[in-house]
Amino acid sequence: MKLVAMLAAALIAVAAQAQDTIKIGVITDRVGVSKPYSEPATEGMVFGANEINKKGGVLGRRLELLVEDDQSKPDVSAALARKLIDQGAVFILSVSLSPATQQQQTVTMEAKTPQMTPMNSADYLTTQLDNPYFWQTGPLGSVQIATLLAHAKKQNLKRVALITDNSDLGQAIGKAFRGGLEKAAMQVVDEEVVPLGATSATPQMQKIRGANPDAMFVAGVVTATNVLIFKAYRELGLKFPIHASYNLSVPIYMTAAKGLVNGITFVDAYDPDKPEVKAFEATYRKETGKEPANLHGYGYDGIMLVAEAIKKAGSTDKEKIRAAMQSLTYGGVMGAKGMKYHFPEGKRTGFDPNGMVVRVYEGDRQGRVVHVGQQ
Amino acid sequence: MQDFFELAVGAAASGCVYGLIGLAYLLIIRPTGIINFAVGEWAMLAAFGGYVTLTKYEWPYPVGMAVVLGLMFVVGWATERVVVRRLVEGGAPLLAPILALLGMLVVFRESISVTFPPDPHPVPDAFGIGRLELGPIGGTYQSFFTIVTALGVFIGAWLFFERTVAGKAFEAVALNRRAAALMGIDLTRVTALSFGAGAVVAGLGGLLVAPNISAHYLMGVPLAIQGFTALVIGGVGRVAGPLLGGLLLALAEQLTVRYAPVPAGYAQGVPLVLLMVFLLLRPTGLLKAKV
Repeated sequence: MKLVAMLAAALIAVAAQAQDTIKIGVITDRVGVSKPYSEPATEGMVFGANEINKKGGVLGRRLELLVEDDQSKPDVSAALARKLIDQGAVFILSVSLSPATQQQQTVTMEAKTPQMTPMNSADYLTTQLDNPYFWQTGPLGSVQIATLLAHAKKQNLKRVALITDNSDLGQAIGKAFRGGLEKAAMQVVDEEVVPLGATSATPQMQKIRGANPDAMFVAGVVTATNVLIFKAYRELGLKFPIHASYNLSVPIYMTAAKGLVNGITFVDAYDPDKPEVKAFEATYRKETGKEPANLHGYGYDGIMLVAEAIKKAGSTDKEKIRAAMQSLTYGGVMGAKGMKYHFPEGKRTGFDPNGMVVRVYEGDRQGRVVHVGQQ
Repeated sequence: MQDFFELAVGAAASGCVYGLIGLAYLLIIRPTGIINFAVGEWAMLAAFGGYVTLTKYEWPYPVGMAVVLGLMFVVGWATERVVVRRLVEGGAPLLAPILALLGMLVVFRESISVTFPPDPHPVPDAFGIGRLELGPIGGTYQSFFTIVTALGVFIGAWLFFERTVAGKAFEAVALNRRAAALMGIDLTRVTALSFGAGAVVAGLGGLLVAPNISAHYLMGVPLAIQGFTALVIGGVGRVAGPLLGGLLLALAEQLTVRYAPVPAGYAQGVPLVLLMVFLLLRPTGLLKAKV
């Protein structure tokens, strides 16, 4: 009888401990088109949660990540948001495709559950729906082009070409790039699209060569397609400079595009000389034995922001977390030196518009920062 | 004009890859009637094989290629043995193996997706990066290598079907399975060989295109669509059909992008519209089967 009582007590204790975690929902993509971005961001998030838990958790409770895979499918994604909320998630972190994140909002807005994407860059995520429970800390497409343009302005560009891919995000970033270029009074002399699955980008590059631009802007976000573009650029012996989207900040270019990327400038939200980055990279290497990249930093900052908001709220009450998040100021791994995430009154985009940097490929290596911000 | 010649070589190389994928379909369709949409994933498997043998372990190109293609034969044979044969012997309708192979498409893709990181994986060019100029015609070494290799495969396939007893057995099965069986042809062996050969040819297409598009877990489906389109344009009746279809498709794709006065983004739809018009005019494809 005594044994039964002890077992029951132990079970109750285990159950209480399990209930005592703070559940954070994570919607990622493990098999779809967003996987190259989502996977490292999720790894960064898991690493961050472990780090927080080692230091005693938040409000004395461990963070428990409930990770779901939406395959970048918006309909699946919305259903998963509902599932996570039903499982008790007090916050949802979205690191899947932008349209999937958008679809999740229909659920989080209705369920009044805080949701944030630390990585998505589509501008429409905070403009199409007035969802006070949603925040975006990934650098916006419009901020990327503004930063790239601020750097390009020094080179007195008049006539430029624009090339992108036909993915949802590639089109969205391309639109933001076009808007920025037109706003800066640069003439877009040719605009090309390389479809996913193409086996050559030579015809598009020939057209651009024919338009004789001062520079080419690459808004594409599909690495394999961008490699195709750079291959055609080199094969045709083209010389005009290339300015590229943040996709070029993915480290895989250093191996997948060997010999093709030297001299390309690209916008990034990651400064390897920033003290926070150095500390993050050293700890990540030590703990996991793997080399971190900027994408890990997005996930890491995401979970840190959520932890800060819950800490500031002093409770897991969703309404209190919402209020705390909206008034949060936090300096993380991402962004230029000294950048802090904050959400000005009425705004739900937290990445400082002057927080991006422009870097340059030196040989096959992602090299130094050559420009900071939009000035 | 310089642009046209530059494009012609690159488009011919792309067309040859589409043709090889189309031939992989054809090798299976003719004796079995089964459309195997997993051929694109076979191309992807071989591309990853190229990454492992040629990039990671830096084996000599011919050795890496031979090993990968050998393994592809095993993959094709095993697919038939494990997935298709049971259904055919169990009297399942033709749609059953087609559906099962669609399932295998997902299995192949996800196996790679969980085994390798999601980024594109580089595969080297057979003769390194460089250009060959032949008068006004110029292209990369890899483009010329792709064209020559694909032509070799198509000539080999033609000789096999036209000049060998085993090839005649394939033809006989294609014409009438029941009659071929009554003549003593081993249907099981022919079917298994057709899957093995289909996997080798699709794998070769994947290996040849991988230096351009990199080995990537999502590369299979576009290749499967392009190869199937090449097959439909060229016709299933003759070995040369997919090659001709592939060349036409690739030329239409690339010339449309380069010269058609349509906005960027719409150009990719033009070849498909042409395909629909073409099928309305010539539903059996360009080359008709021999009577």
